[in-house]
Amino acid sequence: MASKNSASQALPNGKPKTSLKKHFAANWQVYALLMPALIYFFIFNYIPMYGIQIAFKDFIANLGFWGSPWVGFEHFERFFNSYYFVRLLKNTLLLSLYMLILFPLPIIFALSLHELSYGKFKKWAQTLTYAPHFISVVVVVGMIVAFLDPITGLINHVIEFFGGTSKNFLTDPDWFRHIFVWSGQWQSLGWGTIIYLAALAGVNPELIEAAKVDGATRMQRILHINIPAIMPTIVILFILNMGSFMQIGFEKVLLLQNNLNSETSDVIATFVYQTGILEGQYSFSTAVGLFESVINIIVLVSANYLARRVSNNSLW
Amino acid sequence: MKYTKLLLVLVASLFLFTACSKDKEQPKADGPSDEELEILNEKDMPIVNEEVDLEFFAGQAPATNPDWNDVLIFNTYEDMTNMNIKWKMVPHDSIAEQRNLALGSGSLPDAFHSAQIGVSDLAKYGEQGVFVPLNDLIDKYAPNFKKILDENPVIKKAITMPDGNIYSFPLISDPEFASHRIQARPFINKKWLDELGMDMPKTTDEFYQYLTAVKEELGEVPFGGPYIDTLTEYLLGSFGLATKGGSNLYLDEDPETGDIRFYPTSDGYKELIEYVHKLYSEGLIEKNIFSIDHHQFITNLGDGKYGSVVWFAPEEVASKENGKDFVGMPTLEGPHGDKTLNKIGDPVMSPGAFVITSNNEYPAATVRWIDYFYGEEGMKLFFMGVEDETYTVADDGTLQFMDHITNSKDGLTFEEEAAKYLTFPGGGFPSMVKEGLFQGVASAPQSLEAADLLKPDMIPDDEIWPSLTYTKEENDKLQGFGKDIEKYVAEMTDKFISGAEPLSKWDTYVKEIENMGLDKYLEIKETALERQLK
Repeated sequence: MASKNSASQALPNGKPKTSLKKHFAANWQVYALLMPALIYFFIFNYIPMYGIQIAFKDFIANLGFWGSPWVGFEHFERFFNSYYFVRLLKNTLLLSLYMLILFPLPIIFALSLHELSYGKFKKWAQTLTYAPHFISVVVVVGMIVAFLDPITGLINHVIEFFGGTSKNFLTDPDWFRHIFVWSGQWQSLGWGTIIYLAALAGVNPELIEAAKVDGATRMQRILHINIPAIMPTIVILFILNMGSFMQIGFEKVLLLQNNLNSETSDVIATFVYQTGILEGQYSFSTAVGLFESVINIIVLVSANYLARRVSNNSLW
Repeated sequence: MKYTKLLLVLVASLFLFTACSKDKEQPKADGPSDEELEILNEKDMPIVNEEVDLEFFAGQAPATNPDWNDVLIFNTYEDMTNMNIKWKMVPHDSIAEQRNLALGSGSLPDAFHSAQIGVSDLAKYGEQGVFVPLNDLIDKYAPNFKKILDENPVIKKAITMPDGNIYSFPLISDPEFASHRIQARPFINKKWLDELGMDMPKTTDEFYQYLTAVKEELGEVPFGGPYIDTLTEYLLGSFGLATKGGSNLYLDEDPETGDIRFYPTSDGYKELIEYVHKLYSEGLIEKNIFSIDHHQFITNLGDGKYGSVVWFAPEEVASKENGKDFVGMPTLEGPHGDKTLNKIGDPVMSPGAFVITSNNEYPAATVRWIDYFYGEEGMKLFFMGVEDETYTVADDGTLQFMDHITNSKDGLTFEEEAAKYLTFPGGGFPSMVKEGLFQGVASAPQSLEAADLLKPDMIPDDEIWPSLTYTKEENDKLQGFGKDIEKYVAEMTDKFISGAEPLSKWDTYVKEIENMGLDKYLEIKETALERQLK
């Protein structure tokens, strides 16, 4: 079907109108298949965007989105001048960076799983590492609190057994990031390997055989065959990761937060929840959320640009 | 390029389409409509001659009945009034969230019941017309509530918003009912006190000695709590703080100058923090108090693991067996001889316990519906239930719950058993809490005994400032830097107490608050105060 006609052939002809019609006539089945997805994104991701305007308005519930009066950048100014602005931004960025640094972990884990020749153990290890992915956030936090409690927690019992003194990890701002990020890794490590394992399965075995014959060690085979083979996958996943750079799930942060660790645990997402949902300052929290999204887009676009320049792989 | 343009046009048109279809005007109800007046009875039951259906948002405290659509008192009341209420139950943890979502989305219930609406929301949504102004309706249709307002001007002051309107029916504590107004109160483990051969602590020093003895000699946990704040609040008066009561966070009157004061920067507050820090650093306060799970605390209390708490009667909220070891503790005398219980607020315990929204087609009937619960008869129904089903009247006229409620055959506490028939457990309801009628935790013997000990040192009513209400402009400012200041104080207080910040940083802390705009903050508060006390 695609050989009959295509947009790239039709456009340079200089007769876009007729060729557009032809193009649709020839390919309408493909577009029909695409429609449900497009409609979904329209309804759930584009239409709600008209609500963003309240970031520049003083939202009054019974005047509605369109009737509320404009206030310009007032809410943004208030946020930037807020006492906690620097702290919120810093914590959000640092937490995101920390998670980003651990980006190679699932890759390394996938590479090692791939090297396992004993099938049963491989399956077992995979299942074991996938499992935590299915635990809900609330339960995970419950487990963290139970394990780390200074009086009844297992970890502190172990520390005391070896002669140390028990420590309240949950209220220590220095520990918050480690607890948050590593418990997240524990949950998502196995799940994160799935796509890499699929990519690794596509590596031509002949290449490996040839390398073996040439006397390449296992390390060399990984470095020069496996990694280059999955490089496009890595780059794409990296860009996608950057797209959600600042989006730290607020539930887990909120559940782990207290007055003593808020020095490091106060992030933009929890701030939006507190001011917007709990205190009902919709306009203000929309402005804060919008600020976060704009930074996200900038990060995403620059990551994409960089990836295109460096590796010729990119999202668009 | 053509495709992009096409898409843009499509997007734009869809925007407009949704915009037009979604902006419906809210029906605005300022007073009773003619249709309503036609079916409304101005006196006696039923309230309306034809059955009407209303939907109420119900804040569901953990201790209350889980489904008010089928509970004895509201079933009874429905038959009396001809008004069918469809209760939308919203669990306690998400009240603020669900309430704000309802207010923000415009899909309003007819009324909010027990939804903990604060004064700033009352002023804001009242001004916006989301909540119905009740002044005229109260004059006409709420004889019971009007009587209470006339007798207690302070209550009227506390619920009148800066625009002069009343938008809510509050939870009121009968000013005479001290045990209910005190809320969380100090209890001490009498068994351990006797074991140690010590007298009941009377000063902060003696309390410290008791706590030390519990730790050193008994090897137990001297003090526990779900969070540290109940202890610091109880001690405010012992350090000469909160001299105008507990209705306004961090605000009082400087006893020396007579000016309005932000007390977290005062020397008295520093001493209080030093004292509590000393307790914490010496291991006299349970180590995980800043991160403990609430249920964990209640379990520990029920297991009799604490030497003292500032909480509600342990016998009632935790365990009958180990709870009875606890007895009340008096107000402690501080280092400079201060000895008052200052955390008491004005009699309005919760200003927005019941509000009527602009969505409601029967505002007058709804006012009559709620006013019943501020009268003798309605309070009897609300707090005691139905005669011979839940309570009996003794020969001397006092009301008593029947045996199947006070002595549960399933081993349930009084509250748990009562919640099968009644909805008041958990609090926050629109009504007046009166001694003799209200049989919740506050009127349990253990609570009353503890309250009697504290009563002589309670801050007198004419000293208490009503909780402040703000205009929209004032509120906008306070929600910015005001909230930041309060958050900073709460955070730093916990840090100083836990030792995460050394007390040598006190001066930096005070400077920081001043830099955050303390002057402006106090200015707004003072204006609001003057307006309110007028």
